[in-house]
Amino acid sequence: MKRIEVKLSLPVVAPLLDVMKTVADSLEHHLAVPLEHVEFDDDMRETWSTDLLGAQNDGVRSLLAMFDHEFFESGVVSFDEQNAEPILRACAALRLHLRERYLKSFEDESLESGDVEMEELSETLRPVFMCYVFLATIQELIIQHLDSEILEG
Amino acid sequence: MTTTSSATQPQHDTHTELSLAGACRVVVLNDPVNLMSYVVLVFKKVFGFDEQTARKHMLEVHELGRSVVWSGLREKAEAYAFTLHEWQLTAIIEPDEKN
Repeated sequence: MKRIEVKLSLPVVAPLLDVMKTVADSLEHHLAVPLEHVEFDDDMRETWSTDLLGAQNDGVRSLLAMFDHEFFESGVVSFDEQNAEPILRACAALRLHLRERYLKSFEDESLESGDVEMEELSETLRPVFMCYVFLATIQELIIQHLDSEILEG
Repeated sequence: MTTTSSATQPQHDTHTELSLAGACRVVVLNDPVNLMSYVVLVFKKVFGFDEQTARKHMLEVHELGRSVVWSGLREKAEAYAFTLHEWQLTAIIEPDEKN
């Protein structure tokens, strides 16, 4: 099984885990992508919501499980074919919710380009934005380093 | 004397016609959050697109705000839209007016 290990800076990443956990908790009963744009009957909406929420929560658990005992000892996290997809999706869900909950005042263009001055952010928003960027970095690592056999199969 | 034939004449002609009536389109809407590389990956994975096709649709989403990624029967459109939502993309289903 192909596996990639990444060594992260504990002092930098550990504070972001609090943000991640807060957002994960707040997402537990909500879909990161609401179904308001999809037209279907109430029964189907209910079924979709339940199933999508279950999948979303599974993914978030996989993401948080990456930061386990080994991470707090060595700073190392690992991705493999078992957890790559759920983690990719969970990163997307948390980023969408971070944007919705904390980063709405930013221009879309600034968020897409990452062109935000850290010094101009408040004490509260700084770790939030760092977490937003960190989750994107995890996604890029997975997309770049796990080959097509794993991710596109 | 009247002669009768045992052959039964059909009262109605029937024929089968394949129709895409009720056909739908799956449309992916833009969001300012998901990475371009992520969206390309999702399109490749969900629809089996090659890199070039996936990038074309991703750029349509990015630049035009939406891209029609699939069209066909409603049931399958719903399945695709559900999968796209699992990947945290905003997908809608709309009637395919061409069919």
